[in-house]
Amino acid sequence: MRKVLWSAVMAVALVAPALAHHSPAAFDRTKKVTLVGTVKEFRWQNPHTWIEVEVPDEKDKSKLVVWGVELTSPTYLIRAGWKSNIIKPGDKVSVVVNPVRSGEPSGIFVSLTLPDGRELLERPARLGTPESK
Amino acid sequence: MMSPMTIRAAAAAAAVSLAVAGCSTAPSQPAPAAPTQAEADAMAAGTLSALAPANLSKARPTPPFDVTSNWFIDVSQDPKAWHFYLPPYPKLTAAAQQEFDTSMKYDAEGKVYKDDIGQCWPAGLPLIMTRYWPMAMIQKPTAIYMISGFMNSVRIIYLDGRKHTAIDEIVRTYNGESIGEWQGKELVVDTIGFRGDHHWMDQDGPAIPAGEKLHIVERFRMVNDGKQLEIEFTMTDPDHWEGEWKSTKRFNRVVDADIQEVSCLPDLNQHLQSTTSKTQVFK
Repeated sequence: MRKVLWSAVMAVALVAPALAHHSPAAFDRTKKVTLVGTVKEFRWQNPHTWIEVEVPDEKDKSKLVVWGVELTSPTYLIRAGWKSNIIKPGDKVSVVVNPVRSGEPSGIFVSLTLPDGRELLERPARLGTPESK
Repeated sequence: MMSPMTIRAAAAAAAVSLAVAGCSTAPSQPAPAAPTQAEADAMAAGTLSALAPANLSKARPTPPFDVTSNWFIDVSQDPKAWHFYLPPYPKLTAAAQQEFDTSMKYDAEGKVYKDDIGQCWPAGLPLIMTRYWPMAMIQKPTAIYMISGFMNSVRIIYLDGRKHTAIDEIVRTYNGESIGEWQGKELVVDTIGFRGDHHWMDQDGPAIPAGEKLHIVERFRMVNDGKQLEIEFTMTDPDHWEGEWKSTKRFNRVVDADIQEVSCLPDLNQHLQSTTSKTQVFK
């Protein structure tokens, strides 16, 4: 039952507006891109945590493209099991993002799979309600 | 000339007489203290600080509630509740309508029009109240200090009876100058003195400018047994809409999280590529 409830919470999270200091309208929420690559940098900070991931260019696999991945605030990431050292440069990860509409290598975070197979998500940016515990 | 001890005794007696007259002081207020010479000079000049001991310790009626807490916009009933551009809509002026229409045109193209907050300009009032970060409020007898968990934004509501600063002396800001007054079970806050550039009534969708003539009256109420704070906003800005624009928001009391330092550092947007991508329209 608890698992079912958590799934429901995540469903709400996926349709709720993302926490951002900027407008999220730049992102295409109908599209998902899976980035399989290497962590270049991971910055645990406010107002947003971000990850830069080096991904082989689709047209020329010998070249690397750096994708910027925007996440929510550590306040909410901690509630979803994140730590400041949960990933580090050099880690092989798979990250799913909603990309910017312009086609540039930038996206807002959906999920991340760690080298050990664990999947990390976000939590809704909400406080003061039962679901925010 | 009275000795300091005589002055203190006289002040204490005055406080007692006020309390007897039905003007009781809040339990948390310190006992009235004799003003120092510096405080007396500031009183004479009308510049006594809200945090001066002589101001804090003045006898005042007990306020009906204390907002001291962390608060977070309640979006449990509607994920769009943080927006201000919700019904009932005001009728926009031609200038504001032009900005609105332009923003909607770009929105339909999947672009973001003049997202100044995303470029690290302050959110300003009213939007600063409904950001997706908690807001700490600290109530003293003379003022309420609000610190947003978004960009360390500070807002002060003065409760010590002062009037608004003269218009030719006011320093315009994005949160404006707020003067509050307890009226029955409500706190009524009057705010003017806004910056009129890079200041918007909403984000992520319609662009409606907030100008220097923006005037906001807020009615604060404690509701739901103190679990929620309700604020009814009545906003006018004759340069941008006709009549009164009303909006009521509720905020949840947060007891399991504190605000954090949140700065929009010069390198922030270098790593949030969407804010500098081709999706952004700055003019």
